[in-house]
Amino acid sequence: MPRVIRGTLITCEPAIKSIIMHINAENNNEIVIEDLDDTHLLIKESKIYDLKRLLDLRLKETLKVEAPLDDSD
Amino acid sequence: MSVQSYQLSDYLEKLPGTTFRKLYQQPSTAFAIFRRMLPPLAKVFVRAMLYMPGPFPLAQIDLWVKPEAKLHRERALSVLRSLHIITITPAGKDRPQEVHLTTNFAKSFRMVLEGNGDHNSFGVPSTVPVDPTVTVTFLDRYARKKWEDILHYVVNSVEGGGHGSGSGPKASVKELLVNGHLVERNPNGVGIAITQAGFTFLLQEANAQVWTLLLLWLEAVDHRPAAADTKASESIDMLAFLFTLAFTELGQAYDTQALPESRRAMLPALIDFGLLYIPRDTRQYFPTRLATTLTSSASALRSVSAGFAAATADATHDATSIGTAASDNTKGSVFIETNFRIYCYTQSPLQIAVLALFTNMKVRLPGLVTGRLKRESVRRAFNYGITADQIIAYLVAHAHEHMVRTAAAQGTPVLPSTVVDQIRLWQLETERMAHAPGFLFKEFDSFEEYDGMARYAEEIGVLQWRNDKNGTFFVTKVEQLRDYLKSRKK
Amino acid sequence: MPPKRKAAAQAAPAPSKAGRTSALSTPGPATPRSLDSSMMSEADDDFDEDVSEAQKQREDGLGVEAEQFVQVFDLSSKRFQGKNEKRTDSVTSFFKNGERDFHYLPLKPDHQRRPLYIEPTQGLIFLERWSPRGKQATDFLVTIAEPVSRPKYIHEYKMTAHSLYAAVSVGLTAKDILTSLDGLLKTEVPQSIRSFIEEYTMRFGKVKLVLKGNKFYIESVDEKMLARLLNDEIIGPLRVHTSGDGEGLTVTTAPKMGGLVIPGTQNAAGVHQANLKAGGAEPAANEGELYATLNEEDDDDKEAVHAFEIPDHAVETVQKRCLELGMPILEEYDFRNDDQNANLEIDLRPNTQIRPYQEQSLSKMFGNGRAKSGIIVLPCGAGKTLVGITAACTIKKGVIVLCTSSMSVVQWRQEFLKWSNINPDDIAIFTAESKNKFSGNTGIIVTTYSMVTNSRERSHDSKKMMDFLRGREWGLMLLDEVHVVPAEVFRRVISSIKSHSKLGLTATLLREDDKISHLNFLIGPKLFEANWMELSQQGHIAKVQCAEVWCPMPTEFYDEYLRANSHMKRTLYAMNPSKFQACQYLINYHEARGDKIIVFSDELYSLKQYALKLNKVYIYGGTGQAERMQVLQNFQHNPNVNTLFLSKIGDTSLDLPEATVLIQISSHFGSRRQEAQRLGRILRAKRRNDEGFNAFFYSLVSKDTQEMYYSAKRQTFLVDQGYAFKVITQLANLDKTPDLAFATAKERRELLQRTLVDNEKGGEEDVENDDLFGKPVRRAGGRRGGGVRRTAGTLGELSGGQDMAYIEQNKGANKTLKKQAKAQQNTFFKKIAREKERVRTGK
Repeated sequence: MPRVIRGTLITCEPAIKSIIMHINAENNNEIVIEDLDDTHLLIKESKIYDLKRLLDLRLKETLKVEAPLDDSD
Repeated sequence: MSVQSYQLSDYLEKLPGTTFRKLYQQPSTAFAIFRRMLPPLAKVFVRAMLYMPGPFPLAQIDLWVKPEAKLHRERALSVLRSLHIITITPAGKDRPQEVHLTTNFAKSFRMVLEGNGDHNSFGVPSTVPVDPTVTVTFLDRYARKKWEDILHYVVNSVEGGGHGSGSGPKASVKELLVNGHLVERNPNGVGIAITQAGFTFLLQEANAQVWTLLLLWLEAVDHRPAAADTKASESIDMLAFLFTLAFTELGQAYDTQALPESRRAMLPALIDFGLLYIPRDTRQYFPTRLATTLTSSASALRSVSAGFAAATADATHDATSIGTAASDNTKGSVFIETNFRIYCYTQSPLQIAVLALFTNMKVRLPGLVTGRLKRESVRRAFNYGITADQIIAYLVAHAHEHMVRTAAAQGTPVLPSTVVDQIRLWQLETERMAHAPGFLFKEFDSFEEYDGMARYAEEIGVLQWRNDKNGTFFVTKVEQLRDYLKSRKK
Repeated sequence: MPPKRKAAAQAAPAPSKAGRTSALSTPGPATPRSLDSSMMSEADDDFDEDVSEAQKQREDGLGVEAEQFVQVFDLSSKRFQGKNEKRTDSVTSFFKNGERDFHYLPLKPDHQRRPLYIEPTQGLIFLERWSPRGKQATDFLVTIAEPVSRPKYIHEYKMTAHSLYAAVSVGLTAKDILTSLDGLLKTEVPQSIRSFIEEYTMRFGKVKLVLKGNKFYIESVDEKMLARLLNDEIIGPLRVHTSGDGEGLTVTTAPKMGGLVIPGTQNAAGVHQANLKAGGAEPAANEGELYATLNEEDDDDKEAVHAFEIPDHAVETVQKRCLELGMPILEEYDFRNDDQNANLEIDLRPNTQIRPYQEQSLSKMFGNGRAKSGIIVLPCGAGKTLVGITAACTIKKGVIVLCTSSMSVVQWRQEFLKWSNINPDDIAIFTAESKNKFSGNTGIIVTTYSMVTNSRERSHDSKKMMDFLRGREWGLMLLDEVHVVPAEVFRRVISSIKSHSKLGLTATLLREDDKISHLNFLIGPKLFEANWMELSQQGHIAKVQCAEVWCPMPTEFYDEYLRANSHMKRTLYAMNPSKFQACQYLINYHEARGDKIIVFSDELYSLKQYALKLNKVYIYGGTGQAERMQVLQNFQHNPNVNTLFLSKIGDTSLDLPEATVLIQISSHFGSRRQEAQRLGRILRAKRRNDEGFNAFFYSLVSKDTQEMYYSAKRQTFLVDQGYAFKVITQLANLDKTPDLAFATAKERRELLQRTLVDNEKGGEEDVENDDLFGKPVRRAGGRRGGGVRRTAGTLGELSGGQDMAYIEQNKGANKTLKKQAKAQQNTFFKKIAREKERVRTGK
């Protein structure tokens, strides 16, 4: 008999997966249920919105290391 | 990705056959649907069959159509069937399939062509004297004002930008826009915000915009708490009246007294939309261009904007205010440069507000506004639900004629390809993670068991992902698989 | 100046001084000198701090004042922006809360035939380039405003203090500017703009500093203006009273261009034609119609000029005081009437023709028959050197040329010999290796900024040479690559070497630390800035396709990246194996097409790793001179050496017209200038005029890293010049590349481990000696706008020995070349070597 686990499947690029794993580690491993492969993860259904928010935040941090560009005006 | 805004065909397709029978009792409806809804080939079929004495073998139709146009034939027949203009007998063992025109449609349509019958379905002109100031120009300007107010309300819902003119649309119209999800009330209760459907709405041609609003109106009536049968007949009659208006003449006064009570009740709303004008204390109604072009085909549509442009030109002699409604520009006015700067020749607050949906505006000069496409500004638009394709479509549609000509001469796309790419890439940035709720299957006893079940999941269309190496897969639904497992166990 | 050597020793910048100096433009962090001992040695070392505290304070003070001055003269200041009757509507708030909404300004009835708009608070000008009058308006705008953005259809300019300063310096008056502006504008000239122009032109350029007969004079056509200066508590007492002029001022007649011909121009070709009546010549044949008219007008009234003398030592004081008074001094050199300084026998060779834009830029410099000091901005490859040489041939007096490296010193001398008929004995080089003087009583000296500012550890020869330079009066000082030199270095150069006129040359007058504006006051206004796209369309510089290639980071690299400190992050995104593969792919692709490729990497570790793995030649700060020459020579002439890896020492001044493709794998944060300079390496491609030729510029960027952000910032300057960067998210058939590097997960893991280990112990030495001025430093407190940070702390340590060993066994392509080259050495390099030898033995 196979095991069946309820959850949300995340499909993303490897880099994003890395970030998600980091976020997971910082949140007491409460988000990710299973690391499936380079581009897939199974996470708790209830955590998807938290994760989305945290990921957005993290991506912003990753890209913006300095004060935003001064606009040329 | 893009959510199509609600169209007449969508609405009609959902109606049951009985409703069509009722609708087609009115000759103007039959004619309107013929004129607006049918592809050219379907029109040919209808004309050909209209005066045929009996049913017509389906195989015969193949002879009229070149083999390579088979797709057109299929489409024409499908449209005719869905609009209940024809019926096709089911394929029998010995009887060939036959095509009939439905009775009510055929009867009404013949009546239109022959011009007989006393059905009043093209409106009853008023016999009392007409106010000479109600000219076509006057009506055009009146309708345009009404319609722009509505568009403006939708646009200015962005960032609560519109704190101004005071002459917005009626509360009932606003309610309609909110209920139709063209705009949304902000969660905090302050102000409203445009939705993706709202943006699509803005990008439509005026005629399509009018229909979107009218259909929202009909739907609202359908959803009113009342006895089911009266509702249905009410909205059908409303639709029929709209088709009637479509055949009235611009500048002509019609008699309100000749309308049945139910249709008279519709007049206030139609005034709010700008489809009708009723001078004070009269029993006359004047349809505006918005009403008389309701069922015009695409080429005639341009007359709406052309008419508006004419109306503004002699009214203000200000050439720069051609930029009227977002969708009514006859002339492109936007330059977009490889450095993401945008220059738009316009005075129209409406067009400026549309640009501001996805542009960081910089400077406003008489007849010119400047701005810049920025990652933040475009992402803001994505948050409203506007898509990259919609923004690109808007820019293409409104590209300045000089830019269009240059591009044509050099054989390059109108918009700089790097800008187009970048807008798309910005959208991809917002879609870095796809997610689907469901169930993970793992730890099968054998690969065969795993493989069999994964194949089954794929067949029934619930499989999202599988990994043969680990023998795991993910499905969106589990019920059928449970049954499958049970059946296997037995 | 940062205490550079101390920093090197301490592995961290000395904090005590850094706090104060960071307010000024300073070169980057620790710069050990050991790496580069051969060619770049003394000449390319940092500017030392062998300057008295008092001098420094003076310099700081001047910097602050210049800044204050700039602020007072900001168009947006309340003084200019009167109360306007604003009309608002429902969309007004979109335009900076209504501040930028001017839709109510009335349009002129024929506005459609006029190509300009002007924004009243910022002085932003919008030009419809596609309008029939677009060209005419462009000529005008180039004179009175600074270009902001010049893509295809609509150009933006900005009228600023400096741009008006420049306009005034070529002889335009408020009336000229306002009349022309009014003729082109769709609206009336806004009152704020009108007062701005009037006030400025009144103040600017009205007072001139003239060196005449070896004496400095303050000169003006406006007697009242001079009276005001003489009444000033500081300037008044400084006046030199000479016998004969009593209390009155010296009066002469204003000079005209009449008779002066810039060599190499169309005027020069037709010099015998009768139309050159004294006093009536037009400044240049190809000048825009409008601009010419303005000058003619200017020529009509012959004005009297008043002057008083000031002593040499008071020049800086007077300049400073005039700045405070809001009347910056313009420097002009009446070289034709200078009979004190010997004439230099120099002219352009008869077959040398200068290009229209070069002529245009020079006509700005010599507009009224005298030499005005200022800056000319031309893209790399557009012939800045020839402009400098032509200026020298026009003035025909002693010239001192200042460069950023001894490599370009050699190039400048060669260019002088190539384009002009100068006697080789009259042009000498002053570098660490060579300290010659010219033979005659005047001539040309080519040297570096650091040679003339570095007074510590100066050899006896150098001291003697410096005394020679200081003791003379130069006709022209040519300042190459002015954008990289800090303001205080200029002050030191300018105060120690006396020259009648100064011409700054650069391709990119921009710096992340925003110190450029001061150059306007130190050297002179920007006289001319060329339009890159136009030059490229006319075939003067190569057409370039730009692309940004996105390279995803493999998971294991990205995991490390997320954990790493900022220095390691930089190494990791440079060493990203996908980037490596993309680089390999592009090299293969372009080599197969017959291109010559330069790969740039700021990160030395990755530079070497890439070059060794791909078996390509490379040059960095530590490469010895002989090896450098060998590599460059092979890259230029050897059909088997088609790819060259360069550290940032190749960013500027390196002239390799064979190169047609540029790949950038690591770069200096968000430096817009570096991006433009690097692009410049392929703009002079020899093949640029071949049918359908395109050069290629690829910037490889690791996805989801800071590089993405920096990359966007870096491109802004070029994008505003009209360049478009195509984003490539995937290279077609990348996986089919033969011998693709790091194709397996195992190799990638090994690469990661090696990278981490190699860089753990302090990291590869990342600092180089050549491009010393180029490291922008953020002001303390991280103020807005800089966007660039150097993590100096982690860079100070030298790499461990194990890395050197690694390089030894992998000398790779460079070593092979060395062997091959033993036999056949280029005569030029032999000569250099001989000269070096002579200098050494002569000591």
